[in-house]
Amino acid sequence: MLRLLSSYGNMFSSRATSLSSAYRLASEFGTFGGNFLPRSPAAGSYLLSTVNPYPRRSVFSLWGGSKATEWSRAVSEAEKIVGYSTSFLSLRCLLSDELSNVAMQMRKLVGTGHPLMKTARRLFYDDPHVLQTRGLLVLLISKAAGPTPNNSESTDGMTSGIYQSQRTLAEIAEMLHTACLIHKGLVNIKTEPLNGDALKDMEFGNKMAILSGDFLLANVSSGLATLNNTHVVEIISSALGDLMKAEFTRLRDDECNSIQPRDGATVEDWELQTFYSSGSLMAKSCCAALILADHPKRLQDAAFEFGKQIGYAHRLHQEIQQLVTDNDNGNDLTAASLPAILYTQEHHCINRQCELLAQEPISSKQVLNILKSDKEVLEKAKKMCSDYGQSAFSALDLFPKSEAKNALKKIVKAVTTF
Amino acid sequence: MSPAWTSLMSVANVVRCRRFIGRIAADSLKSYRNYTTRLKPRTTVVASPLTSSLNVAKHSIITQDVTRCNIVNLRQFSTDGSISNVLTEEKEDIDPFSLVQDDLNHLCSNIKQELRTDVGCLFDISSYHFDGMGKFFRPMVVLLMAKACNIHVAYNVLDDSGSKGSIPLSSSQKVIAMLAEMIHTASLIHDDVIDKAEMRRGKPTVQKLWGQTRAVLTGNYILAVASIALARIRNEEVVTVLTQILEDLIEGEFMQLGSKEQENERFSHYLKKTYKKTASLVANTCKAVAIISQCSENVIEIAFEYGKHIGIAFQLIDDLLDFISNEIVLGKPASADLKLGLATAPVLFAAHQYSEINPMIMRRFSQPGDIQRTLELVAKSDGVSSTLFLAKEHCKEAVKNISQLAASRERQALINISHRVIDRLK
Repeated sequence: MLRLLSSYGNMFSSRATSLSSAYRLASEFGTFGGNFLPRSPAAGSYLLSTVNPYPRRSVFSLWGGSKATEWSRAVSEAEKIVGYSTSFLSLRCLLSDELSNVAMQMRKLVGTGHPLMKTARRLFYDDPHVLQTRGLLVLLISKAAGPTPNNSESTDGMTSGIYQSQRTLAEIAEMLHTACLIHKGLVNIKTEPLNGDALKDMEFGNKMAILSGDFLLANVSSGLATLNNTHVVEIISSALGDLMKAEFTRLRDDECNSIQPRDGATVEDWELQTFYSSGSLMAKSCCAALILADHPKRLQDAAFEFGKQIGYAHRLHQEIQQLVTDNDNGNDLTAASLPAILYTQEHHCINRQCELLAQEPISSKQVLNILKSDKEVLEKAKKMCSDYGQSAFSALDLFPKSEAKNALKKIVKAVTTF
Repeated sequence: MSPAWTSLMSVANVVRCRRFIGRIAADSLKSYRNYTTRLKPRTTVVASPLTSSLNVAKHSIITQDVTRCNIVNLRQFSTDGSISNVLTEEKEDIDPFSLVQDDLNHLCSNIKQELRTDVGCLFDISSYHFDGMGKFFRPMVVLLMAKACNIHVAYNVLDDSGSKGSIPLSSSQKVIAMLAEMIHTASLIHDDVIDKAEMRRGKPTVQKLWGQTRAVLTGNYILAVASIALARIRNEEVVTVLTQILEDLIEGEFMQLGSKEQENERFSHYLKKTYKKTASLVANTCKAVAIISQCSENVIEIAFEYGKHIGIAFQLIDDLLDFISNEIVLGKPASADLKLGLATAPVLFAAHQYSEINPMIMRRFSQPGDIQRTLELVAKSDGVSSTLFLAKEHCKEAVKNISQLAASRERQALINISHRVIDRLK
């Protein structure tokens, strides 16, 4: 397994530290009894929850930026509350026999530019801007809701205030997100003018991407089956359906690139798009976590609302960050982002020529150039972001006061401040 | 080799020259069946499933004489005390399809109802393959099994053989049939992207029309809708059984990626892969409907075993047809397996006789001329006939299992399906 991890490290980075960080990572897992891999997420999370409750943050600093931003502070505190680091949730399922097979074959993809490499790189580097916190939010909201109301005195079956089934659900949510990310990163062969070796590489990359994504989806299904709750199966399956729908909406073209349609887009379009592509998974997995502990419907609905609003807030936060800062965090500002939509609406571009309404996707740089000049759009977007944050806060009102609830509030604050 | 044998082989050669259409293939297969039933049957019966049929197959490879193989006439089953005599009487009368035709006719429209969504062209793409052109083999088996199990339970509970009348299908069982078709279609869509296939069931594949990304996402969407429908049955055991299918499907795909070096391991690897990719779906959906009809453990096991053997036989015939049929009949290009570098049953059998096939298997038929040479060698060998024999063994095993259920038209239909699996052309 050490060899495998070092091969991952070598594949994705030429930095000399990659090998040592791979070893550090391996030793992190090595504390979990040395053998790997429990196929069932339940067994895996049990291992994680019983061993090494407070992982060292230094591993993160080796793999990515260690800037003490408000975001990373909020995440860091939250992870202490739920008992373990959640950034490795999707990583663990990647280290199975089938996917190690894929990893070995993926060596052929180095240097080809297939999106699968980019996705895999993002999964390994703890990019502070990457929201790998679906799992974290599920765990926090589970803890915030407390023990099951039928038996609120006993804390049987809870580790750090969270039931085993809820931990499994958190992992399932992360796995689902990873699977969809991998599947979205396929190359459409007919639109790319490729021939010979380049074509073979892309086809091979596609094959690996499909198999890996399918493997993760199969794991999601069997994980859901172990939870023994058909309502949870239903709601998480509908989240998967929503994630798929996200690529077929008005704000996507035939190649699943982000565009605005010719007649312009509205805020509702953006909200629907964001709900499908990220809010739905967050909302439904938070709701499902509470279903697992038999909480009343109004609390489940509050969890759903919280997930939905924080989904909006986080997406908008990412888009605004692109406008105010200069870092390239891998999230491109597109013509279908909310600032772009606000700009289009404000300037009544339906009647006049507007570059943002082009049918072909325009580059992020061009979008930035157009939008940076407009201060009003920025202010409006910031206001909307804090409105979403407010809705998230009010959704939390139904939850009793607790450490976990404070952590959630801090996370909301982190995504609404600029 | 006997004259009949040589003539069979020459017929097979002619077929492979693609001058004749599937009718000739059917004739050759039928003549083979008549030929073998004239033989003096052995008394030993294949007792237990997979491994013993594998042993018999291996035995036939070793002796290299198909004529001495263990081919037992179906009629012999009726003399076995534990199986009822209903078997042989209405053998040819019951058309399995007609027994469940109503439900199958509604299948596609029910599936489309579940898939309906306003989001863009997602509905159009996802309902593309649910146009009634499929064989509906899997839902048919599932529905018949459901009815047969319901009747079996009714007989045991009521203990009267009187009212054979309409024992209804529960709506959950109909949903399982829907799920069988949906999961199958979703996996087909993904497979077509992986295999870069351009035609399926006589029309262009989803990936050709809409691109790879949308094809894969649509497959996922169909799976999501299927999972929602599955959850609504509100039966946790059924959920566990059906999620096993998804695991097996992907495991089968991964098994296909790798190839075994040892020749001995290759056949068992192939059979295991066949189970995972094809039979698991049929077996587990049959098991699911048996669970819903609240059968005993024994009957659930019977349903599973039937599904498993029928599924494996189905895939073996599929692999066989890939060799001897042609594009018009199949609806998709033939020799597809070889072109993908896959060594299926006929090739594996032939490799025992002609060891020059072995290096070609290891390099996945990648060198020019490999595919042509393999086709020639398979034609010369008894690869095709051995595959047919193995498929028949599995069908027999399936019949043996299903015959333990209470007598009914549906049970007879399930038995007739095993004949159809062998006789089919596409």
